[in-house]
Amino acid sequence: MTDDFANPWLYRLKWAYMLLIVTTLMAPVMYVMYISFNANGFGANEYVFTWEWYGLIFQDQLLLGALRWTLSLAVVVTLIAVPMALVSAKLYKQSTNKLPIVFLMLAPLFVPPDILGSALLVFFKNLNLTFAWFGDLLGVSFMDGWFQLGFSTAVIGLIIYTIPYSFIVILITMGRYRSEQTEAARACGADGWRAFWDIEFPQIRAGVFSACSFTVILCFNEYTRTSLLKGGFDTFTTVLISQMLNTGMSPQSYAMSSLVSFIAIAVIGSIIVFTMIRSDSLSRTARAKAAPVMST
Amino acid sequence: MTSQPKQPAVEVRNLCKNYGSVRALRNVDLTIEAGEYFVLLGPSGGGKTTLLRTIGGFHKATSGQVLLNGRDVGHLPPDQRSTTMVFQAYALFPHMTVLANVGYGLSVAGLPKREVAEKSAAMLDMVGLTGFADRKPHELSGGQQQRVQLARAMVLDRDILLLDEPLAALDAQLRKDMCLELKHLQEKVGITFIHVTHNQEEAMTVADRIALVADGELVEHGRARDIYRAPERRFTASFVGENNLLTGHVSDVNGVSCTVDVAGAQLKVQKRGKEVRGGQSVDLSIRSELVGLSRASDANAGADGHSILGSYDESVYLGLTTSHLVRLPNGVEMISRSISDSLDDMPEPGEPVRLHWQPEAIRLHVN
Repeated sequence: MTDDFANPWLYRLKWAYMLLIVTTLMAPVMYVMYISFNANGFGANEYVFTWEWYGLIFQDQLLLGALRWTLSLAVVVTLIAVPMALVSAKLYKQSTNKLPIVFLMLAPLFVPPDILGSALLVFFKNLNLTFAWFGDLLGVSFMDGWFQLGFSTAVIGLIIYTIPYSFIVILITMGRYRSEQTEAARACGADGWRAFWDIEFPQIRAGVFSACSFTVILCFNEYTRTSLLKGGFDTFTTVLISQMLNTGMSPQSYAMSSLVSFIAIAVIGSIIVFTMIRSDSLSRTARAKAAPVMST
Repeated sequence: MTSQPKQPAVEVRNLCKNYGSVRALRNVDLTIEAGEYFVLLGPSGGGKTTLLRTIGGFHKATSGQVLLNGRDVGHLPPDQRSTTMVFQAYALFPHMTVLANVGYGLSVAGLPKREVAEKSAAMLDMVGLTGFADRKPHELSGGQQQRVQLARAMVLDRDILLLDEPLAALDAQLRKDMCLELKHLQEKVGITFIHVTHNQEEAMTVADRIALVADGELVEHGRARDIYRAPERRFTASFVGENNLLTGHVSDVNGVSCTVDVAGAQLKVQKRGKEVRGGQSVDLSIRSELVGLSRASDANAGADGHSILGSYDESVYLGLTTSHLVRLPNGVEMISRSISDSLDDMPEPGEPVRLHWQPEAIRLHVN
């Protein structure tokens, strides 16, 4: 509390409000975690703690396959979408006419997911027919499957979906960067790439890594576009949802969901703790150095 | 064997730079000798930074040439020119230590780490920052940060150092100290410094020569002392020093001088080679410290051509000096500046006074 005249009870109330919001958001996840350790599964009267479902995850080929597909999609989408977003953010910073760039980059956010997914589905099907027809004209067949629904079409759909988020996250960290530093590096003899890699990237690295994490999480989270464009319900979210809708979730599905949540919380939590410890260490170092050293 | 004539460090020929319809530089011609401390002085938005950045390769000229040591470099980016630059602020690399900042250019050039560390430490010593090597830029004061920028630029051993308002972000006292440090450093290393500023005191302190840049044009250039004492152009007189500017019409032309009618007074002024004709509108300038003030009385009432009558307005105490403001009959205000307390008996406001000067103190400006 920095305002000496602020009401301390109001301050505590704000904290309580924030905790309530976080608890409300996290309660369902915590509940899934709780169920995942119950030997009797969801809805049972008796709670018996067990690790069994976690052991069974690695025997459930459907879940493991889905996880593998989603991870592959997430990795490929991240490797393509984040550099594209980075280049776009740099273009935005350099451009004097910023509005068209922002509009173009954020446009996918304003299209509802099922409309974008079905539009892409129709587009890919037509594109596939066009290439097949063109291949027939040329008497070749290698183009026939270029835009058949599968991994690559899902990747394109997910890139369109995730790139606006990456763009915004990177742009926020770029906001603090001063272009004078790039010019100073150029004045020191660095070419454009070297100036970016040595000077700019270390300062926007946090944003780029955040964009990567965000993209991976979005790929795990996405259902509509993936189910329409991947062809077959075999990605992590589509498997979980189809299980839930058709047969109800299996205990190992709860375990798998919890495991993914545990990993996400551990990774993000570690980053936050590491950042806080480092920030504290840096400020202690700065205070220690603040004892004046006289220049000669 | 005949020795080659020494090439100027910088030559700018007929340089133009446009931003759309805005003409930031108009046909600028300039020559800066090697080893000179050259200052580009002018009001904000006048084009001096654009000129500096075009020399450094941060802008591409719309037309004209930039030659560094006799070589046309108009097509080269900044990293391939024999220049380096000190920026106004925010240009240190915040994620690097002071030592790493200074050694960055040497690392880019591929020097061994040990040599980079040795040269950087020596340069830090030169700018008086020994003991600060392991600090990060945010742990330094503004003045120290600018010295790190200087060290980072000078360690590269380039021919020409460009300084873009390097002292603008510093407080007044620090700016004065840094001015002298810059001047001494330049004398020590002997390379060409090109310094942009809008502060005339800063320019006078450091410059061997000054160029005035305004509205995209090079108004006037010359030795710092000449620019101050004998401005050729009216703009120079208005921008450098504290000059009284008077506008009048030529009433008589004879030989080396002419008479100009200003607020009913016939003022004599040397033509100094300028062509004038009767009835022509001209400007006169005279530095406030060269204008004397006395009460108008019968003893000094005669029109001698080197004085003018007015009514005393007020005095402004400035510490070392005091400015006396006098209103002329045509409403124009003139200033007479004298050492404070040298005038024991100050006139009352509204009292008639006479402003007078030596014949050579007043200058004629013809546009």
